[in-house]
Amino acid sequence: MVASLPRAAAATPGPDSGPRLWDPVVRMSHWGIALIVLFNAVLDQGGSTFHVTLGWIGMALLALRILWGFAGPAEARFAAFPPRPAAALAHMGALRRGLPRRYRSHNPAGAMMAYALWALLAVVMATGLIMTGGRTPMRIAEENAAVAAGDWSVLVKAGKTGEDGGGTLKTTAAEVHEMAANLVLILVLLHVAGVAVESRALGRNLLAPMLTGGRRK
Amino acid sequence: MSGSDLRAARIRQTRVLAGFLIVQTMAAVFFVGDVIGDLIADPGSTHFIFEALVTAALVLGVVFGAFALRRTIETMRAQEAALSVARGELAQVIGEQFTEWRLTQAERDVGMLALKGLDVAEIAELRGAAQGTVRAQLTRIYAKAGVSGRAQFAAFFVEDLLGEGVRPAAPAAPAASA
Repeated sequence: MVASLPRAAAATPGPDSGPRLWDPVVRMSHWGIALIVLFNAVLDQGGSTFHVTLGWIGMALLALRILWGFAGPAEARFAAFPPRPAAALAHMGALRRGLPRRYRSHNPAGAMMAYALWALLAVVMATGLIMTGGRTPMRIAEENAAVAAGDWSVLVKAGKTGEDGGGTLKTTAAEVHEMAANLVLILVLLHVAGVAVESRALGRNLLAPMLTGGRRK
Repeated sequence: MSGSDLRAARIRQTRVLAGFLIVQTMAAVFFVGDVIGDLIADPGSTHFIFEALVTAALVLGVVFGAFALRRTIETMRAQEAALSVARGELAQVIGEQFTEWRLTQAERDVGMLALKGLDVAEIAELRGAAQGTVRAQLTRIYAKAGVSGRAQFAAFFVEDLLGEGVRPAAPAAPAASA
């Protein structure tokens, strides 16, 4: 063979050429939060113990994803997809011309989407905490049980905090909670559309790595 | 094969670890909420102090668990990459050696199957050929390679792996392309 050594180099493909795969923490937190958004925004009753419990679970998933942004493997770390609005616009331009670059982690537009969703989810969770007075679902369940058993004193206590200024704060929080939640839903639709468009443009299924984490296409 | 079994086991392991980490994080977040509630209600109580300590330990556990899981995932990926490189290298070395021996395309295929451990009947079935044909091809391969038989033929490549690395020794370079 004339060029046995260069051929050796070409024969082993670089690590960036294969389809990426997401680790289990990214996948589980992603689908967990997706399910929670679906339930809490559409299916269950706002303010119910179930709703609040799901919100707290979502809070845990978001906290873990943020921790994972510092502690996780390379493509899950924030350093792999810094928020760069200009690059996001450039990427969308390239997408329209049909020649987007491939990225190991989120593409710049996807990264902006992720940050926007996380920020909005944080707002939804924070306002939710204000609305419930920061009580854990366990405590809410206890109080509901107490009220059901005929002990109305918890209601008196809750009413008192409502009167001394907490009332307007809580109504504002409720408004913001509702608005941010609707924005989350809109962003989710955009996110799904973005994944579909990008998958078509790249000719590669972007959903599979999030579903199975597998290397196969 | 045992290689893919090992891979599947490792993937399962990371999944279980990730699931455990998520449950642990949920517990931590619920406890943190509870501790903050207690802090507002009665910060001096021993109940609060104990619960705060337990919660701090839980949070630390989550953080260390995350780092440990990252290490597991990275080790797994590194081993996978090394394995695939080694596999690719070995296949290439074998291919070059076949070229050097001037095996025909049919002989190359048969030789590769023989190296993978298939016997004459299996190779014949796979290739849709008579067993006699395969046997004759194998004999020609052994003759071209200058080995006594199947065991030595396989050992030819294993020896390289055991000895001085995967690359064939220098004489490979000028021989083939002429």
